[in-house]
This record gives sequence, C-alpha cells and structure tokens, in this order.
Amino acid sequence: MAGELASSTASPRITRGSSRRVAALRLLRRRLIQAVPLMLGVVVINFVLIQLAPGSFLELMTAENQVSDPATIALLRKTYGLDDPVWLQLLKYIWALMRFDFGFSYRQNIPVIDAISVHLPATLLLMISSITLALAVGIAAGVVASMKVRTVWDTLVSVVAMFFFAAPGFWLGIMLIVLFSVKLGWLPVGGMATIGGASSGFAAVLDILHHLLLPTLALGLFYAAVYTRVMRSSMLEVAQLDFVRTARAKGLSRNRVTISHVLRNALLPVVTILGVQMGTVLAGSVVIESVFSWPGVGSLLFDSVSSRNYPVVLGIMVLGSLMVIAANIAVDLVYMWLDPRIEIR
Amino acid sequence: MGNDSYRVTRRIFGVGVFGAGVVASSLAGIAPARAQGTPKRGGTLVATWGGGEPQACYVPAGGGSSPTFSSSKLFERLGNRTMEGKFQGELAESWKPSADFKSYTIKIRKGVKFHDGKDMTVDDVVYSISEIWKKYAAASALTDFAGVAAPDAETVVMTFNTPIPEFFFSSLLCGNVNYIVPKHVYAGSDPVTNPANNAPIGTGPWKFKEWVRGSHFEYVKHDAYWRKDMPYMDRLIIRYVRDPAGRAAAMEAGDIHIGVFNPVAPPDIKRLTGTGKFVATPKGYEESVWSTTLECNMRNPIFAKREVRQAMFHAVDRSFIAKTVYYGYARPGTSPIYSPNKEFFTADTYKTGFDPKKAAALLDAAGFPKKADGKRFAVNLLAAGWFTENGKIGAYVKQALEDVGIAVNLSVPDRPTSIKRIYTDYDFDMAISNQANPSEPVPSTTQYFTTDGIKKGVPFRNANGYSNPEVDALVAKIKVETDPAKRKELVFQFEKIITVEAPLLPLVELESITVASTKVQNHSNDPNYLAATWYDIWLAS
Repeated sequence: MAGELASSTASPRITRGSSRRVAALRLLRRRLIQAVPLMLGVVVINFVLIQLAPGSFLELMTAENQVSDPATIALLRKTYGLDDPVWLQLLKYIWALMRFDFGFSYRQNIPVIDAISVHLPATLLLMISSITLALAVGIAAGVVASMKVRTVWDTLVSVVAMFFFAAPGFWLGIMLIVLFSVKLGWLPVGGMATIGGASSGFAAVLDILHHLLLPTLALGLFYAAVYTRVMRSSMLEVAQLDFVRTARAKGLSRNRVTISHVLRNALLPVVTILGVQMGTVLAGSVVIESVFSWPGVGSLLFDSVSSRNYPVVLGIMVLGSLMVIAANIAVDLVYMWLDPRIEIR
Repeated sequence: MGNDSYRVTRRIFGVGVFGAGVVASSLAGIAPARAQGTPKRGGTLVATWGGGEPQACYVPAGGGSSPTFSSSKLFERLGNRTMEGKFQGELAESWKPSADFKSYTIKIRKGVKFHDGKDMTVDDVVYSISEIWKKYAAASALTDFAGVAAPDAETVVMTFNTPIPEFFFSSLLCGNVNYIVPKHVYAGSDPVTNPANNAPIGTGPWKFKEWVRGSHFEYVKHDAYWRKDMPYMDRLIIRYVRDPAGRAAAMEAGDIHIGVFNPVAPPDIKRLTGTGKFVATPKGYEESVWSTTLECNMRNPIFAKREVRQAMFHAVDRSFIAKTVYYGYARPGTSPIYSPNKEFFTADTYKTGFDPKKAAALLDAAGFPKKADGKRFAVNLLAAGWFTENGKIGAYVKQALEDVGIAVNLSVPDRPTSIKRIYTDYDFDMAISNQANPSEPVPSTTQYFTTDGIKKGVPFRNANGYSNPEVDALVAKIKVETDPAKRKELVFQFEKIITVEAPLLPLVELESITVASTKVQNHSNDPNYLAATWYDIWLAS
C-alpha cells in the first residue's frame, strides 16, 4: 500500500478544503475493501505453509503425554478436526475467523484469542515505544546531520547510525543488559514488571517504564538508524527545491524554513518506510522479547512454532497481518495530511 | 580463570564405579553449598531452569522437565529418595510387600492438607494411582498393575499380576510426577484438560498464587504444610528467561538466586563462580542422569550385522565430545545403565572405545570394504535438534565416520520434526538423541531395547527396531526378580549383551549443573532436585 502510495505521488491530484476529508474517507473505504482479499491470502498462505511443516502438534502432544494407544490417538485426531481433508480444515478455519473465532489452543487448553490477548499488550507496548523512539531519534538526528552537513556532527551522526544499523538486536540487547543492569545496576535485566511490585497506579506505570527502557532501546535503535539516514538524505534533497529557495528569499529564518518547509516535506519517505516496517518491527520483537524475557507475542510465537501449536501460530499471523494493514492505512492517511496536494489513488 | 576459582564440589552419586574423568578433574576439591547456621525464615526465592515455560503448570503425564519443575513444588509423591540412596516416605509413612511380592501395603501419612484446606485421604491416593498414574504418569511402568484399594482410612493396598521387586515399587512411589492429586478437584473430569492444571491444588510446601504467562509463577508458603514450620521462605518465584545469556545476567544482577538443569552456558558457569558470589554443583541429578546417545536403525540391512554397529561406536571419540562439545561437563558413556547408578551399573562390559583401526577392520570383516572412491557405504545421520549440542556432535560424528570410509548425510531438524522422523517415521539410519534415566532400569532404560518397546509414534522408546528374544526374556526376568542380588546380576547381564550388540549406546553421560547464589542454602540435596519440593531451602542474609 505504501509502495502504491509512493508511486501515486508522481501524479498527485490536488485536493483542498472539505474535499480532503471526503478523499480520506474514500481512501479508507478502498483500503478496507482491499484488505479482505489480502487477509484471505495471508490466511491461506500461512495455513498451507504450516501444513507443509513436518511434525504436528498432535504428535508432539502424544509424545509429551506418552500416548501410544491407537484408539486414543484416533480420538484425538477426530477431536481436533485433523481427520478432515486440509481444504476442509482451511474452509472451517476461514468460516470461524469470519465469526472472530480464532480457534482453540489444545496445548495450553485455552482459546487462541485468550492465549494471544494475554501477550498482545506487552508486544504493542514494546512496538509503540520502539517506533516512537526510532522516529524521535531518527528524525532529530537526521535533521541535525542535514543542517550540519559535512561537519563533525554530520560524521558523528552517520557513524553512530551505521553502528546501530549494523549491530544485531540480540547482541545489542545483551550488551545493554551487561552495561546498565549488571555493571551499573540501574535498570532491570528483564521482565515487564517487578515481581510482587505495585500492580496498579502511578508506581506500577513507572515500574513498567523502568523495565521497558532497555528492550525499547534494543529494538528501536536499529530503526532510529534507518530513519536517520533516510531523513538526512531527504532533508538535503528537499532543501534544494525551488519552494525552499523561495522561502529563504522571502527572508524567513533558517530554523523556520527548516522546520516549516523542509522538515514537513522531508518526512514523506520516513512515513513510507514506517508503514513498510511495521511487520519487521513485529518480527524483531520476537528476538528482543526473548533476550529481555518480555512476555509478549514474540515469546508465544516462538513457543508455538516449536510445539507446532498451529492454531496459535495462525492466530498471531492473522492478528499481525491485521496490525500491519491497519498501520499502512494510517500511514496513507498521515501521508495525505503531510502533503495536502496528494490524493492517494 | 582457573579451576581454583571454582567453589563447587562434585560428589557424584555412586562415585567410584566409573571414572568421572575430565569433569571430576575440572570440578575437584570444591565444597558443596550446604546449610550454614540457623535457617533464616521469610523472604522470596527466585529460581529458574535451563529451559522454557511449560505448556501447563501441571501435566498429568509429565509433559517434560518444564512442567515437572513447576508442578513438583505444589504436589508431593508418596515416597522420596535421599542423597544416600535410601527410600523414605513423603505422603506415605511406610510401605511393605506381601510375602509373594504381588501386593504392597502403604500406610498413608495423617494430617496432610491440600492447599484448599481439605484433608488428604486414602481416597485421593486410590484415585491418583488408578486414574492418574495408571493412565498417564506411570502407564509404562504399571503394565502389571491389578488394582488398588483402601481397606481402612490409613492404608492403601496396591496389587499386581506378577511379583514386583521392592526397588521397582519404591522407585515407582518416587516417580517424577507420580503425585497425589485431590480427587475432589479431578474426579469426573478429563485430567489432561482440567483447568486446575494451570492453578494446581496440591499438598506441597508451596501454594499456587499466580501465573503471569511469559514471565513467571508465583507460589506462596503453604501455611498448613504437614512438615512442621516448613517451608522457611514466604514466597517462591519460578521465572522463565529464554536466553541462557539473559539468565546469566539476571543471576549476576541478583534477580535470580538459583538456576537448575544447566541454566547458563558453560563459559558463564566459570565466570559466575569466579566472582565468588555463586556456586555450581553437579549434585542433585543422580536420579535423572541425562545422556547423548547414538543408535543404529536395524531396519537398514547394513546395521543388521553387529560388527557394523560396533564399528560405528569405535569410530567415535567420546572423550573428544565430552571435552569439546560439553566443555568437560560430560563423561564418555559405556553402558546403557549410567555410571552414577550405584545399584545397577557395571564397568564389566564390552568396550566400544575410540579405535578407528578396529572400526575399519570390523567393517572389512562385515563385508563392507572401501570401494574405489574410498567409501564403504552411505548413511543418513539425524541429530535431534532439541539440544544445540546434538547438532555439534552430529558434525563431529559425520567427520569421524567419514574418516573410516562412511559417507554421511547429516540433518539436524527441530524438535517436532526430530520426534516425527525418529519415533514415528523411523526415517534415519543413525540418530543422535538423548535420554534421562532413573536408577530403576525397568522400563525407562529397558524399553529402548525390548521388542515391546517398539511403539510407533511414542518417543523415547525403541526406535531402532532392535529385537532380541534373549534380551526380552532377560528383561522379563528382571521385572519380576525380587531377590535384589539376583536382580542386580540379571541387569549386569543385560548391560553386557547390549554393549556387545550395540543397537544404541550412550556417547556421553551429561553433567547437569545447578548454579546458585552463595546465599542459597539447603539446595541440591535431593537426587532429583529439579523435581524436588524445595521445602527446606532458605536464603542467608
């Protein structure tokens, strides 16, 4: 979607006033309609891929429970609907999804939606905080580098950005733990909250923020590095355009020109990348959650793949896809807001 | 960081029968963590283990080490085994066999309460044995079980179709998850899906409080615990940290006090103990000794010849594996009964030590000389991917076998695929796998070699298809022999046959390690410490 958006900017249709709201609603409707076949594709592809993986949750389950009786295994197969042909299982799954039924996790003995919803807030919190950090740091550093181009500041920003771009997330996470938790003792090693600590109120919020800081840095600094590089080059490119030269000629201050004219237009590529990267942020959280024992969906996904807990894997895939689609729709709307000339086709 | 920095003692259960080799030398001369002074009451102990979060807090069939670890603090068994190897009562006060060893009378402990305040009665014991043990927890051991009854309010009688050796029966009462569960919670339900499995009600020293999925279990002191004034501590937290480096950091930061079953990577063991703030000990695993095994699939005609199977083991340097892959925290395996087993291990067996020349000679004699391309034959080697070390061993075994002219296709699939390929599809020529065996060899050890152990789709049984009437008859005798000395002699015979036949043998016996803060007292004092109740653990100031 963001890719389509980028290409559409080549032939923008100028919209103004209240027609922008109409255009936004039109875009929203179009994107929601497009999301239906997209989701269907996601479900079908993931369902088929999971079926292709060797080993099944039933085999693992009977293994862990030392079940060898063929009658018991047959009963379990029937109970879990594994006797049905794959296409029928898929149809049943899609039909259930249409009723917002994500299935049942027999391994955990709870509905899939319950299994995921326990972990989802933690992942959303980590994703939002990491993206916020990445945007704030990336945009600020990119602006500074572009304003101080070819100075020591520019070089410093570039070197630091390159470092965080190259550093693997799990390594960075462990290094942060060693420095800030083990050596300095400032921050907790892992988890989302102090066990037995405050469970509500301001103290609980502070406690969670305390635990959130290191995983946010480990996940967010990579994307901050990406945004820094993109922002810097975008700022330099926009600064060469005629309307910026005109603004300067009108006698506006350098800061006013940079913030009001250059920055706003230079943000467009960053917003585009943000939409594309929502999925990779979710994937990256799997690794970071593991390093920091963050009780998010990533840990659940890892366990579910390892145990062939297909209903949960599929549920996470579907919800993850929904999140990415929603984020891309939001990005499209932000895009329209940033550049009023554009109506996305 | 030299060995001097270690503050651990290696006092292997049953030491002296087999050389502890590299491990002993690396851990020698180090004192165990033992109780110091008057136990301190109160406080919170945070523990972890070298694996992930369980699928449920309690799994009636066991479900692996993770649910065993989490449930064993909440439930209790009828019996227990001391570090000295003696059996003692836990929820049972005593037990004794009938004259013909076909029934056992168990006296049940009085004054035991479940966490919900209800008394534990003989009805709970009868229900647990007939509905949980027989069907799930000990199904493979209770093949000759005839029934269980409670003649009075303090007595339970278990009857069998055949004579049952006392050691076997006592081991059964101490089985990992052979718990006494509350009948009033489980009766009339499917025990596997009972919601109480995620918030268990047991009789143990710790009472379930909360499970924060993805993070930890929180248990609190069971105030009505039958052991007077126990446990010492107020709270026990079992915390899950997926990454071993993360566990090491959490321990170093003081967030976790004790980690069982290899919580950190070997280099971190040395680093942590080197600080003087931690001890590491191999004690507490004597009743659950892990090994890495190599087995030959008898369905491949190449392995029908005993000489070929023996050659496979002669071609592999087990000491190299112990030193290189396990950093010395392992010792070469020689017998299907492992060296810490003081009841049944014998060193007097056929030795398949590292001898590539002998391996080559055996292969030549078996009719597999090197061909023009330098190869004798090709095999598919599967290294079960549930432990990362298995993949490394697979890479080494491939090299070692290629050195004697055997082409090897190595694969290291993940856990579900490994289970399917080894135990369901029998899709391997050779497999590197793992076992954890208690002292009692029947059926845990013997089922890897008997014909009735061949059960398609059931893991950790006889996957190689080895079938030998002599072995079957011998194991049948071991099952019913009630004279301890004669039984021991029969097991020795079993070991001798298996080491000669070599369908499956341990490459190395693993040295499981507990790492604990020096503040933690009374730990590693049970031969199956991961599955112990930890009622007497405490934290020094």
